[in-house]
Amino acid sequence: MIKHHPTFELIQSFVNGDLPASLSAGIAIHADMCPKCQKQIAQLTDQVAEASFEEAFLDRFIVDDSEDVNVLAEFDFDVMAEQITASNEVFVANEQLDKTIVFNDKTYKLPRALQSMVMGKTSHIGKLSRARIQLDENEIHTSLLQIEAGGSVPEHTHKGFELTVLLDGSFHDEQGEYVKGDFIMLDGSHQHHPISDNGCLCYTVANDALHFTQGINKLLNPIGSFIY
Amino acid sequence: MQTNLRSKVTNAKPSIMSDKIDHPQLCQWLNAVATSRDKQAFTHLFQFFGPKIQRIARNRFPNEAQASEVVQETMSNVWRKAHLFNKDKGAATTWVYTVMRNVTFDMLRKIKGNKEDNLSDDIWPVAESMVSENESFDDHLESKQLLHVIEKLPEAQQQVVKGFYFMEMSQEQLAVHLNLPLGTIKSRLRLALAKLKMQLGEGHD
Ligand SMILES: [Zn+2]
Repeated sequence: MIKHHPTFELIQSFVNGDLPASLSAGIAIHADMCPKCQKQIAQLTDQVAEASFEEAFLDRFIVDDSEDVNVLAEFDFDVMAEQITASNEVFVANEQLDKTIVFNDKTYKLPRALQSMVMGKTSHIGKLSRARIQLDENEIHTSLLQIEAGGSVPEHTHKGFELTVLLDGSFHDEQGEYVKGDFIMLDGSHQHHPISDNGCLCYTVANDALHFTQGINKLLNPIGSFIY
Repeated sequence: MQTNLRSKVTNAKPSIMSDKIDHPQLCQWLNAVATSRDKQAFTHLFQFFGPKIQRIARNRFPNEAQASEVVQETMSNVWRKAHLFNKDKGAATTWVYTVMRNVTFDMLRKIKGNKEDNLSDDIWPVAESMVSENESFDDHLESKQLLHVIEKLPEAQQQVVKGFYFMEMSQEQLAVHLNLPLGTIKSRLRLALAKLKMQLGEGHD
């Protein structure tokens, strides 16, 4: 049972299209598995759409609309409408082949939100395997991370944020057990040590290297840049 | 001073679910485009949505040319993808909003120097509503409830909520448009948000 959901603010930004692709995809993946968030997103989208196209409401905020702009705009619109309808081309959706990804001989179906994203090569450290997703969002790094049964990520904190969406399997940390679909957003104030008894696949987004905090794990700090 | 300015902006009666939008009409036009490539119907849709999309896009893009590109792209997607609209699953405004938001998202990604990868339709599919049909009754109730909550907010808070979340204006922009100190905007937003959250049950617990 999914227990961890995106906050109201994140869902709002998602609906508005304000989040980077990495976080937007994270919320879309979660919503595909979470009817509650799905419903909330649908409702907010209705509301935002309604408000966006409500004339009086727009007018109230646009105080500097000059005559000139309107005249020019209307002229352009007519030409534009003509051009658009001149083409009889109809959009045909690509056959959505269900794309998959393989980690250590285990095949996973890729969530719809990731279907068009470019996957990098997989690298391995111990029981961790990671494929970077190439979104080119500067300091934000996105990956698929597999933890094999009995594997764990050493105790660490995050300097920025770290989002984990569980795509398959489960893991636990000091806070409890996480299951498929859980949307786990952590920031610098959290410190955790995820362990997966039976293995799992995670979608991860982080904007700063993980920082390992304990004893010998400090020596593992290079692993931070591996995961993130 | 504040009282004067406030009465100025609150003259217009705000209504979030406007009865001015003729939803059945928009639906009918969109269906006419989908089923019979009806150019007349498309022109009506263009007249309704085009100028609004232009104004919304001008809030998000630095120049007029880019705002026009959003209109061009959105409306040609409406023309080409109208058959993906399912009137049983949502309002025409919601569908066009999705198309517009997706175009905007992909364009902003391109401008920011990322790849031209058009990820938006995978993240927010235009071909299906996210709500399954058997939930629509429930939804209607909850939707009305949300509206109810927003409309119960004090007028001043309503304006800030709508401006910030629905119009995507920054708090600074709102302060200028509503002629209020930034601190007032911030505190109104915080108050309103707290009430909304309570009703929406953040965390779903
Ligand atoms: Zn959820």
